[in-house]
Amino acid sequence: MENANERKEILDGLLEVLRTVRTIDPARLEGVTEETDFLTDMNTPSTELINIAAKVEQKFDIEFEDEDIDRMGSKVKDVIDLIIMVKERGANK
Amino acid sequence: MNVKGRKVAIVGMSGTFPTCADIDEFDRKLFAGESLIREWPRAMQFQKQVRSVVSGYVTEAETNLEPVYPLPDVDWPETYIDNLGRIPDINLATADLGSIWAMLGAQECIKMAGWSKEETESEQTGVVIASGGGGTAVARYPWHAFFELGKKTRMAGSHVVDRAMSYREAANVSCLIKNKGVCESIISACATGLGNIGYAYRLIKFGLQDRAITGGVEGTALETFIGFDAMQVLSKGFAPSESSRPFDVNRNGFVCSFGAGVVALEEYEMAKARGANILAVIDEYFNNSDGDGNMFYPSYDGQKRLWKGLLAGGNIKPDVVKVHGTATPVGDIIELVSVVDALGEDGYHICAPKSQFGHMLGAAGSVELITALLMLKNQKVLLNKNSDTLNTELENFQKKPDWEGPVKPAAEYRHLISQDIIEKEINQIVCLNYGFGGTNSAISISKDN
Repeated sequence: MENANERKEILDGLLEVLRTVRTIDPARLEGVTEETDFLTDMNTPSTELINIAAKVEQKFDIEFEDEDIDRMGSKVKDVIDLIIMVKERGANK
Repeated sequence: MNVKGRKVAIVGMSGTFPTCADIDEFDRKLFAGESLIREWPRAMQFQKQVRSVVSGYVTEAETNLEPVYPLPDVDWPETYIDNLGRIPDINLATADLGSIWAMLGAQECIKMAGWSKEETESEQTGVVIASGGGGTAVARYPWHAFFELGKKTRMAGSHVVDRAMSYREAANVSCLIKNKGVCESIISACATGLGNIGYAYRLIKFGLQDRAITGGVEGTALETFIGFDAMQVLSKGFAPSESSRPFDVNRNGFVCSFGAGVVALEEYEMAKARGANILAVIDEYFNNSDGDGNMFYPSYDGQKRLWKGLLAGGNIKPDVVKVHGTATPVGDIIELVSVVDALGEDGYHICAPKSQFGHMLGAAGSVELITALLMLKNQKVLLNKNSDTLNTELENFQKKPDWEGPVKPAAEYRHLISQDIIEKEINQIVCLNYGFGGTNSAISISKDN
């Protein structure tokens, strides 16, 4: 359950970030789940994913590698997976 | 080239003007003889580093916009919130301050013109608009994040290009109004505002488009001001309302100002057929270059050829000449004698509206065309504020052996340069603007008879 709580906390933080992304219609942030797709469900312009990544780095005080971003999928769960992975990578250093 | 019988009407005007909530207030203040120039707190903040501290500036709050800052404790915005909800967030996200003003102007122009959604979104509707200066505050953050903080490029966000590219105003307006015709910018320094309108006029006159949103913009930016202040060409030492002094013998530079002027153009018969309110008809537009290899110095020969080109275009005998008149020491009198050379010593009045609001750079030509439209509407010639004393001596350039122009001092033309507003019948106005690089532009507009 600890993992589920952590994922929920990250999702909440991510939603906070998404509310500041002006190209996303706030109405589309209602009922977002881990399966929600930024591109197809939220209608986010693909150019905006990099902004989301940069804001996530600031919000969670982490730094992605370029390869992390290149490999990142467009679903909410992909971003959460990446955040957890990068956090763990940082903790193991 | 010209399509016989095809004319172009101006059917909408709007803009962003210093100290004015809208075009009606701009109209009222101009014809009350007021100055829109103030001491500029943003420049005063750097008082030890700048020479000039006056400007016809417009703050974000005055246009109901709220800056969003990328970092705590910085005063350069990343993006803006529209507190009146006029522009959708998705369009604000891709815009700098000037582009937002361009979009607001476009919205109001379309409303004034009365274009339907279908007309606005047509393949026959173009957007031709630009700014002149390279300074835009939204470029500060990406530079800072990359060069100073050593961050990855992505920290600059994905809007560095669309918010800062040349042609950003046209791109943003086009994405807002969804026109399917031309979307371009004409960039020619301080002739930009008129250059865009001239180009849009030709698109319609040549049969390539039926309608256009066009004009020029200069978003308030100390980043733009700094370069001109460095050149020592800005007015210094006068009270704000007295600092812009075209033709006055004591002028010592221009007042760096900001704003936006946007107009809606439409093919005349189409506008007439749908009962549009026609603000003016464009008689002719002409532009050229000095061709003397000089980036900055105005050219009498270039301006003479400009007039020749304009006058060749038809029946042009203006009641008013709206001059560029920046209040720089050399420019004003060269312009004055080139007007006299073209039109003679009487039968018209000269008006330099920069005397009331300063030099709006890339917006100058379009905002000043709007002042001409207001003069046509009000049947009044605006004053030349602060042109208190005209030189009774010849200018140095008039004393050179190879000088071929008029050899009278400015004071001999006092009757053309009024310090008061003049009421008279105005049927036709010629507007002139020039820019660095030796670019010259002229347009003639008339009342619709």
